[in-house]
Amino acid sequence: MISRRQAEVGFAAATALFGAVIAYGATEFGVGWSRSGPEPGTFPFYIGCIVCLASAGNLVLGLITPRFAQTLISGEQARRVFGFTLPIIGFVVASLLLGLYIATALYMFGVMAIQGRYPIWHATLVAIVMPVALYFILEKGFQVALMKGPLDMLGL
Amino acid sequence: MENLGSLFHGFSVAITPLHIGLMIVGVLLGILVGVLPGLGAPNGVSLLLPLTFTMDPVSAIILLTSMYWGALFGGSTTSILFNIPGEPSSVATTFDGYPLAQKGRATEALSFAFLSAGFGALVGVLVITLLSGWVQRFALKFSSPEFFAVYFLAFASFVGLGGAPILKTIVSIGIGFALAAVGMDSVSGSLRLTFGFDQMIAGVSFLVAVIGLFGLGELILTIEEGLHLKGIVAKVRIGDVWRAAKEMPRHWATLIRSALVGVWMGITPGGPTAASFMSYGLGKRFSKFRAGYGKGEPDGIIAPETADHSAGTSAMLPMLALGIPGSATAAVMLGGLMIWGLNPGPMLFVERPDFVWGLIASMYLGNVLAVVLVLTTVPLFASILRIPFAIIGPAIVVICFIGAYTVGSRPFDLWLAVVFGALGYLFKKLDYPIAPLILAMVIGDKAEDAFRQSLIMSRGSMAIFWSNPLVSTLMALGIVLLAWPVLAKGVSAMRRPAAS
Repeated sequence: MISRRQAEVGFAAATALFGAVIAYGATEFGVGWSRSGPEPGTFPFYIGCIVCLASAGNLVLGLITPRFAQTLISGEQARRVFGFTLPIIGFVVASLLLGLYIATALYMFGVMAIQGRYPIWHATLVAIVMPVALYFILEKGFQVALMKGPLDMLGL
Repeated sequence: MENLGSLFHGFSVAITPLHIGLMIVGVLLGILVGVLPGLGAPNGVSLLLPLTFTMDPVSAIILLTSMYWGALFGGSTTSILFNIPGEPSSVATTFDGYPLAQKGRATEALSFAFLSAGFGALVGVLVITLLSGWVQRFALKFSSPEFFAVYFLAFASFVGLGGAPILKTIVSIGIGFALAAVGMDSVSGSLRLTFGFDQMIAGVSFLVAVIGLFGLGELILTIEEGLHLKGIVAKVRIGDVWRAAKEMPRHWATLIRSALVGVWMGITPGGPTAASFMSYGLGKRFSKFRAGYGKGEPDGIIAPETADHSAGTSAMLPMLALGIPGSATAAVMLGGLMIWGLNPGPMLFVERPDFVWGLIASMYLGNVLAVVLVLTTVPLFASILRIPFAIIGPAIVVICFIGAYTVGSRPFDLWLAVVFGALGYLFKKLDYPIAPLILAMVIGDKAEDAFRQSLIMSRGSMAIFWSNPLVSTLMALGIVLLAWPVLAKGVSAMRRPAAS
């Protein structure tokens, strides 16, 4: 589905862009010499330039290396990757809206019941036990508070 | 002798019921993260680190280092029983460990791994004990140019000896440095590279990066490959452990060679992964048991395991004495030291001898405890891998995100973890090394400060990096290492026509 060459070239272009953005962003703070020594942007500027140059090299190598003709990710593999990562994105969105505990319960239930085809009671059990266990370990054991979203109202 | 006195003082710090309890907890947690796919030593330590912010630094470092030892042991367990390396550094253990276990000698395979790992670790700690006083006195002579030269040497050795494609290593280091520069500049106080985003002012936490790059990235990779666990049932039989222990002395040459390789790769930041591969490679070429390599030869387990652990432990020496970590996990711990308010480097030995020597003493105890604990708990931990991945995978995802959140209680870090997860997956797929990025993120600010202070001292002249024998030697070594891949090619090209 995606060849190694496409991925190599695409990623090298992305890191080159990253380097360019860093180098450009650094110019805002001065990249020369001031009375108090090198200006704050100097070091990041050169780092950005080095990333750009090395990425250009990777891009060329990506184009000419013969063994990069092979497939990197098959359709089946891509499907598995998306099947795993999309629920993660959902989990992050849910965490920001509902707090980490409710998001954990929803996510565990979702992946187990829908993706893993576990019996509902099985998924429900894990979805309840895991956040409760986390709550006691983190908030009671280590005194670390997580985002609770609407649960904040309970004053836990 | 002075070191010996300090070491005894260290033992008096380390041997308290609390610290021994922390060692046991640390080792067990470490074995757990080592066994679980996607959770390894670097992100196990990253996940635990925010929970230690309120602890006393000595207790905190004992907990974290014990977790590291445990993770190194756990990683080899899955290599041998499931042919799945729990840690990148235990990949080489699968070559002979799994075949030996398949022959029905799983307990022996595990015993060889654990005993040689314990041996390697003790050699590593011994080297630290003997050398630390000397390295510290040496490092006290350093000022900014020398520090920059040592940082340069560290990164040059990643490029030259790391084994990953050179340009990709450079990109990885550069990204790490760039991310380290985001946020408040420690010299001028200006806010750099935030591009107008308020969330970026605090900078990008290396802990979130580790959790994403190693944890989530590794999980995605595991899913993509379609995890098939064909485990070998392991029941530890005392007789088999004893038989393996009796056979160990026959492999003395491999033990010593591998321990030396490990110590060298741990002190120069080649890291445990490179050490284990190099040691296996050397064993395959020079060992008297080389004929059996790849078919379940104990020597082929001993070589990578010894090197892996001696590199893992000796990586602590440059971390403590110079403030330069020798592995990704050591980099995370170095970051932890700074968060606890300690200043890694030669002055640490003077200011906090209780911390340094308590840690070194705990490394002796922790590794001995780890061998005992891992042998007794292997069946338990191996059974965890029989829980279907559909449950364990998402559970690890949840733990990673909670870990990312606890670093700074910033919701934005959850998105950063997602980005780093994707980046980690791509890095693995395309052979970009991750460890240099982490190292650059952790010591980026210090390297930059050393560079700028040197230039301020010299009023902008680069000649300061060649101004005395010490700094010139360090810089020259760095340049040789940087050019090493090219030099090595040149040498072998010259040799070939001569041979033919």
